[in-house]
Amino acid sequence: MKKKILIVGGGTAGTMTANNLAKKLMPEIDRGDVEITMISNSKYHYYRPGAMYVAFHKSEGHEFVRDQRSLLMPEIEFIVDAAVEINTNRNFVKGQSGKRYEYDFMVLATGCEAAPERIPGLKEGGDWFYTYEGARKLAEKFQTIKNGRVLITVNFPKTPNIPHQCGIAPVETTIMLHDYLKEKGVRENIEIVYTYPTEAQSVHNGLFLQEPTSKVLPAIFDEMDIKHKTGFTLNKVDPAKKVAYSEEGEEMEFDILMSTPPFIASKVIRESGLSKALDGEGWLPTDRKTLKVKGLDNVYTLGDTVDLPVSKAGGTIHNQTDVVADNIASELRYGYPTESYDGLVIAIAQMGLSCGMPLWYDYEEDVQPTPCSKLGSFVRKGFNKGIYWAAARGMI
Amino acid sequence: MSEKVEVLKSKEMQALEEKMTMLVQTGRIDNLIDLLAVVSDNIEMTTQPMVEKMIGTVDNMATAGFVTENAVRYAKRETDKNEVPSLFGMLKLLKDKDTRKGLAFVLNLTKGIGRQL
Repeated sequence: MKKKILIVGGGTAGTMTANNLAKKLMPEIDRGDVEITMISNSKYHYYRPGAMYVAFHKSEGHEFVRDQRSLLMPEIEFIVDAAVEINTNRNFVKGQSGKRYEYDFMVLATGCEAAPERIPGLKEGGDWFYTYEGARKLAEKFQTIKNGRVLITVNFPKTPNIPHQCGIAPVETTIMLHDYLKEKGVRENIEIVYTYPTEAQSVHNGLFLQEPTSKVLPAIFDEMDIKHKTGFTLNKVDPAKKVAYSEEGEEMEFDILMSTPPFIASKVIRESGLSKALDGEGWLPTDRKTLKVKGLDNVYTLGDTVDLPVSKAGGTIHNQTDVVADNIASELRYGYPTESYDGLVIAIAQMGLSCGMPLWYDYEEDVQPTPCSKLGSFVRKGFNKGIYWAAARGMI
Repeated sequence: MSEKVEVLKSKEMQALEEKMTMLVQTGRIDNLIDLLAVVSDNIEMTTQPMVEKMIGTVDNMATAGFVTENAVRYAKRETDKNEVPSLFGMLKLLKDKDTRKGLAFVLNLTKGIGRQL
């Protein structure tokens, strides 16, 4: 009987996994033994890391959006229908259309979303570059600011040892902001204050979520005259007075608040009953090696939805997707998974408008910071504007 | 332990020194230094818009490759699966929405080529 693989979500994780699965299972597809279906809430595919460039007028935004169908191999059935219910007892997902999608194997790849409303006043008083609309708003503010203070805040999930989306993004955008204001000739009239919460995964009172990078950041920031302060966990914003308050009892005035807001899993996951994360955040309990949802033998997950300590970023997904695709293919062929994820993340951090720092780490080893370079920046921007689409298509 | 590492390191340095000496003695070092300078100059002279335009071309080629590879594989599977169609079968194939979409694309492709001639 034909085996059905259902992929829920048409972002980076879902798209890469669908294409990689189709490639690996081509003999079965040719014989008509396997069918792969993807459902997504949008006919478009958004490359989310592109948004932060929009905040500094270095991209328009449209370059990072494509038709989802154009990124999928023709063997994959693509349906625009938002998942509204996940039933893992009876192996089906219900779409908004009312249609039921049954599966033998399922991949949950619905990502995460910014939830500024979880901090009183942040939605009204703060800004963030993690969405295109948010980045556009920030771009307008950065374009007009002549003097004052830009305050940077970072919030982590309440569930322990889980990062916010793209761990390095607050550092990247802080340095990009410094470069951008310098380019505009107003840097000396604007104070940039980078703050970090008391608890950041395994790091206590640091400036980054990994110790080695946290230790080198003060020197990097000092050189650029970027003020930095740890122990500031944002918990309230007064939009009228433009004041940010911390859990630790401090307050700081700002002209622009560039925040990394709280993040939560998508609604359908949060309401699925599968997560045990604190505060209803919805992270899926994930086996760190097989990438199966714990307790479910035929459901896999990857990307931003997982409760693993690794970055919620494309550079993580690119290494997880083959594990998921291999394991599903092995289960179909031999009845058991064969691959194991080692926590590998590979990326190039945009450390300013024209400097790129290659980085890699896994479950065992933290990032070892290296100097950034012009060439590194070219590779990163080349990836953003072109190579990404090949990666999403499973070509690299 | 540290002694051992030191011995190995100096041995490696010695080997490197010998190779470098050979490059200097044969005059090849000049070309290699020039080559490194050219690489460095190229990085220096490359600008962000250049990178974006170049990568746009790479992306177009990758997209064309993706579409073609998929289409050929799909066509091969369909051809293998079905018998050679009769004239009526051909018409039936033409009735298929995806076939018509693809055909319209090919015709538009020729139009696009025509505009450039």
